[in-house]
Amino acid sequence: MKSHLNRRTLLQGLGTVTIGLPLVEEMIATNALGAAKTKVPTRAFNIFFGLGIPAPLQNEGFDDVLEPLKPLKDKLLIMRNVDHVRCDVRGINAHFDGATASFTAEPAGGEAKAGGPSIDQVIRHAHHPTGLPVGMVPSLVAGTFFRRSRVGRYHHSYSLDGTIAARMQEKPRDLFDRVFGTVTTTNDVDARTQRLKRSVLDSLVDQYRFYIGPNSPLGTASKSRIKDHLDRIREFEQRAFEPKNKKSNGPALPPRSRVPHGGPADPGGEGIDITLEELKSEWRLLADLYALAIEIDRARFGSITFLAAGERIRLTGKYNYNGRIRYEFNDAAEHRRGGSGGCSHEWWHKFNEKNENKQLRAHAHMKMNEIAYFLKRLDSTREVNGRSILENSLLTLSTESGDGRHNNVKRELSGVFHAITSANGLFKTGQSMDVKAEGIDVYNTMLTAMGSKRKIGPEKREHKSVDKIRT
Amino acid sequence: MNMDLMKPILALILAFTITARGAEQVDNGLLAFYDFNTIEGPIVKDRSGLKPALDLRIRAKGNTRRTNGSLEIIKGTVITSERPPIRMLNALKQSNEITVEVWFKPGNLKQDGPARLVTISKNTSERNFTIGQEVANLQSRLRTTRTSKNGMPAIETTPILSGKLTHAVYVRDSSGNASLYVNGKKVKGQMTAGTMSNWDSSYRLALGNELSGERPWLGTLYLVAIYNRDLSAKEVALHFKSGAQAKMDPTKLAAAQNEHLFETKIAPLLSKHCLECHDPATGKGDLDLSQKLTAFANKDMIVPGKYEISALWEAVAKNEMPKKRTPLSTPEKALLKQWIDGGAKWTLSRIDPAIYAQGNETSGNWIRRLTVREYIATVSAATGVDISTHARALLPPDLRADGFANTAYNLNIDLQHINAYAKLAELIVNRMDVITYAKRFSRKHSFTDKDMSAFLEKLGRWTLRGPLEKREVILYRGITTSVVANGGSYEEAVGLVLQAMLQSPRFIYRMENQFTGGRVGNFELAVRLSYLIWGAPPDEALYAAADQGKLSSPEQIRIQINRMLKDPRAVDRSVQFLSQWLNLGHLANLRPDKNHFPRWNPSLADDMRAETIAFFKEIVWKQNRPLSDLFNAQFSYLTSQLAQHYRLTPLQTGKGTLRYDLTKIPSRGGLLTHGSVLTRGGDDASMVTRGLFVMQDLLRGVVKDPPPCVNTTPVPSQPGLSQRGIAEKRIANTNCGGCHSKFEPLAFGLERFDGLGSYLEKDNHGNRLREDGQILFPGEAKPITYRTSKELMNHLADSNRVRQSITWKLTQFALGRPLGPRDARSMQTIHQAGWKSGGTYANLITAIAVSELFQIQPPENTE
Repeated sequence: MKSHLNRRTLLQGLGTVTIGLPLVEEMIATNALGAAKTKVPTRAFNIFFGLGIPAPLQNEGFDDVLEPLKPLKDKLLIMRNVDHVRCDVRGINAHFDGATASFTAEPAGGEAKAGGPSIDQVIRHAHHPTGLPVGMVPSLVAGTFFRRSRVGRYHHSYSLDGTIAARMQEKPRDLFDRVFGTVTTTNDVDARTQRLKRSVLDSLVDQYRFYIGPNSPLGTASKSRIKDHLDRIREFEQRAFEPKNKKSNGPALPPRSRVPHGGPADPGGEGIDITLEELKSEWRLLADLYALAIEIDRARFGSITFLAAGERIRLTGKYNYNGRIRYEFNDAAEHRRGGSGGCSHEWWHKFNEKNENKQLRAHAHMKMNEIAYFLKRLDSTREVNGRSILENSLLTLSTESGDGRHNNVKRELSGVFHAITSANGLFKTGQSMDVKAEGIDVYNTMLTAMGSKRKIGPEKREHKSVDKIRT
Repeated sequence: MNMDLMKPILALILAFTITARGAEQVDNGLLAFYDFNTIEGPIVKDRSGLKPALDLRIRAKGNTRRTNGSLEIIKGTVITSERPPIRMLNALKQSNEITVEVWFKPGNLKQDGPARLVTISKNTSERNFTIGQEVANLQSRLRTTRTSKNGMPAIETTPILSGKLTHAVYVRDSSGNASLYVNGKKVKGQMTAGTMSNWDSSYRLALGNELSGERPWLGTLYLVAIYNRDLSAKEVALHFKSGAQAKMDPTKLAAAQNEHLFETKIAPLLSKHCLECHDPATGKGDLDLSQKLTAFANKDMIVPGKYEISALWEAVAKNEMPKKRTPLSTPEKALLKQWIDGGAKWTLSRIDPAIYAQGNETSGNWIRRLTVREYIATVSAATGVDISTHARALLPPDLRADGFANTAYNLNIDLQHINAYAKLAELIVNRMDVITYAKRFSRKHSFTDKDMSAFLEKLGRWTLRGPLEKREVILYRGITTSVVANGGSYEEAVGLVLQAMLQSPRFIYRMENQFTGGRVGNFELAVRLSYLIWGAPPDEALYAAADQGKLSSPEQIRIQINRMLKDPRAVDRSVQFLSQWLNLGHLANLRPDKNHFPRWNPSLADDMRAETIAFFKEIVWKQNRPLSDLFNAQFSYLTSQLAQHYRLTPLQTGKGTLRYDLTKIPSRGGLLTHGSVLTRGGDDASMVTRGLFVMQDLLRGVVKDPPPCVNTTPVPSQPGLSQRGIAEKRIANTNCGGCHSKFEPLAFGLERFDGLGSYLEKDNHGNRLREDGQILFPGEAKPITYRTSKELMNHLADSNRVRQSITWKLTQFALGRPLGPRDARSMQTIHQAGWKSGGTYANLITAIAVSELFQIQPPENTE
């Protein structure tokens, strides 16, 4: 089971986060969502990072860009040669195509729509067809990113109809609120007012319920929207009216984010200047909060994003890894360009297998280090079966293009880097496998293993099971 | 056979079967259709094409005899829906109009009761509607809020029936005028006042008897159709003239199927695989497959009915075409073969790739959540409270999808919304003088059931944009009784009801009945109009028009539009469209490279935004000019610092904007010369980005991805090599030129504007900059040369293609969804109507508002 030490260290990240531990203790001890205490729940999360890893570099094993994942290598199955070529969409570049396909294996269905559900949501519906227990965040979607031209570049959890599964929580404070809940509370009003407020809420639940019922005048798509609305009302209700048994020293809000969000995060594709320290602080804060949400069983499905597809940042700062300076970033100066031409993604455009590609390698290595941080957080908590959350969950690590020609469909979409965890022993780990298969077959194999009857992709397509990834 | 293909064809066959009785028969509003051609065992199939179909079951099949296209009831039985027809009931209640049409031959002239031909009822004394035979008379009964539960008083003809085949139609319009037609002629008229809102949703549909089995009718049924609108006398006459059993000519049906196949499958297929090379501009091998005339110019290319000798088929079948691209898939080849074999019908004047760019299914029928702006406007209109500051702080911003921030499928909901709606509802009510507000709806401060229900009905009708159903009144009544039970006041009760209403689905969403198919109800249309023009709910005058059935004709709608366009909210709404269309929001985030633009001042971005909005307002609202003039009007509104930035002599000091006459400054004039648009090209004033903007957003052109292995990293200018020089190299490159020649020259006319919109004649490296170029309008074979940017602007302003783009963009904004192939025909109608009448914003809004696309609810789950 969990150790106090793990929980205490969990929130210490870079030393910038302080969440009141007593409340966390209480959440774990008393939460009504405590299925995880006696039985390991099914979980599926998508982890996305922007710009990818060129296929030739994947073949170097853990010797260079994948080095940070080495301590976790026995708990990961690295899958090379996963092909998403079917996801090419005419007129849109492979950054977007690859990113939208990364967990759906289907071409995008629109600027803000995937062509189908992401794997986490298929698993969610297989195991919770009528919804998750009340109070649990149905899908937790978070991330840090600075390229926002199309939603598919950064959003990585899609409902069965291809629309986004949940709103993106991009600021640590937003993520904190989403998970630990600071909704308009009724705890500060008297019992009579509470009763009356409850009657308002009851009427709302009845109204929304009508619109998803058999007499609803709405069609399928609209009903699903109203159902989402009703689910959120129930969640709101749970939080607004939960018993007043919290201790006064609740979790403190995380510090304000220091990196730009919203419109300023993407000034028209021209990129932003950012230091490694700023980026890393944000990522770790987000990773800590997301991991905590999983640990206390408030989230079982969703996605986390480490930079968008075709990301535009001009990074500066010394990158220390294992006590040595791995690289000193200064993208704009090295490119001798400002604006988008000075951004890190140009290293991917300039990738050439015959060259050293030192800047690309450093960027990719640094991202792997941050993802490893998140994975290690999940690996530090043991569950009832003696395995860690990392080992018990299906974590799918995927990305977009990687070979530097975002307009070369075959290069960009045919060697996408993938890694998965064992999902409580369902998948092989401890190896780097050349799967040579379509992403859609890989994902459907994973879905079958995870107990889903639903498959992604065209209904009539012949499914080719990639059994070699299964134990 | 490909089932995806079969579905639309099947729907088409049904549609043609339905319309077989007359080419002009209108099937809009059709809710159920039984022609008795398809009876499977005891099931009579509903052939309306709506899904789910409302099939009926014959209770005692042995008491009936099936003949071709008819069903004879020889002994008492009932033919009934298995469940209440909820979709139909909702649709009828909503439209408050109904037409029931029956072709029948009575078995005798003695049966009475009346003997039920068609009924939606429970038993002999409780019904929503019945039409039946009373000896030799025809009688119908309709429940409204002014008639009894039994639908009395009835409307009844004099003796008119014989033993012959008879066409009977009952029509009731939303004003209450009820009519009975027999054999195409109106034989009885009567006022049946009230509304159908009190229809019972538990009653089922039945033919040939009462549901309780006590009013059997004997005879033969040939056709039964139910509509949620009032068919006109002309339509009824047409239906009668078409007869009960007219059949579609098999040849015509096959031709229609082939035409449908062309429009839905072949045109997209040709667009996807062929037009890159075989369009008017490229025309490789002297073949242009975008137009009928050119596609069939070589008689061997496509030989109707003979795929095996068609050159097109041969090249495709052998994978010789498309060259250097992915061959057609097996199903695609099968479609092409089927089309040629079936006669190769070609119905479109031109295949426009832009229509197919988003695929066949652009989006589902998503309910529209109020955007943040719409929420603020709706609260203000409904309660008088300005909640804008709090709403903007609490509600998550609406994100852009497919070019607009009001795209319905992307207007999703999160916990933060729920929290915000709850908090905002409380804030709004706290700011209201609840008692004064309540007096608008009732002066009685009474909790009695009767008084409170009446009050809630009126309050809800206003706040929730239409009449409440009984169940809703009961729900809100529950809140008031809770308040009473807790010793609360009338004010507290009304306040809490308002809070509930402000969070209800009918407030947060633009709730519509999506199962009706056909024209939306009057209240729904009123709401659509008000959000189209104001981004806000209807006012009392519009509600009154809806209530009185005065939104039925284009003329009546035009009266409302003209009135509504005079409201300042119409101006705000038009600016919302402009801001989203041109993505003016990006200006707030501009951060140009300081080394490149050391004198950049962020407040210039605000000035650029103000310039474009003021310019737009003058064109649209002050001068009422065609929207195409946005591209070449020779004036603008500038602050002194923006004038300086543009290298013009400032005419004023201080911060405000001033109108600048640009007739003597030909290089600047029109939207494309505004900093707000020019900054879209990035710091380097990318020819690619600007050219693509003109091509995709103004000309609705389509361009493919660059071919493999091309380095797309932007190339910086250098001494002796300007951005135009770099672009020309790309155009000259055989790998790139095919596409780049179509869009980069569009930006040549903007070369003298740098990344932030300043006017230069030389770049940083001393390269001389030019402004001449060529423009190739999609669908045209040859480009037009222009010498100056002003000429380019004039070409754009004169272009029908640009006008089409404006129509499509405004319609997308109006509908809240991207447009696709299914909208193409209606778009053509809107476009022609809007520009024929002048092409102003008002003209286009009117054309959209009176269009089928705007007024028709696409049937759920049907193509």
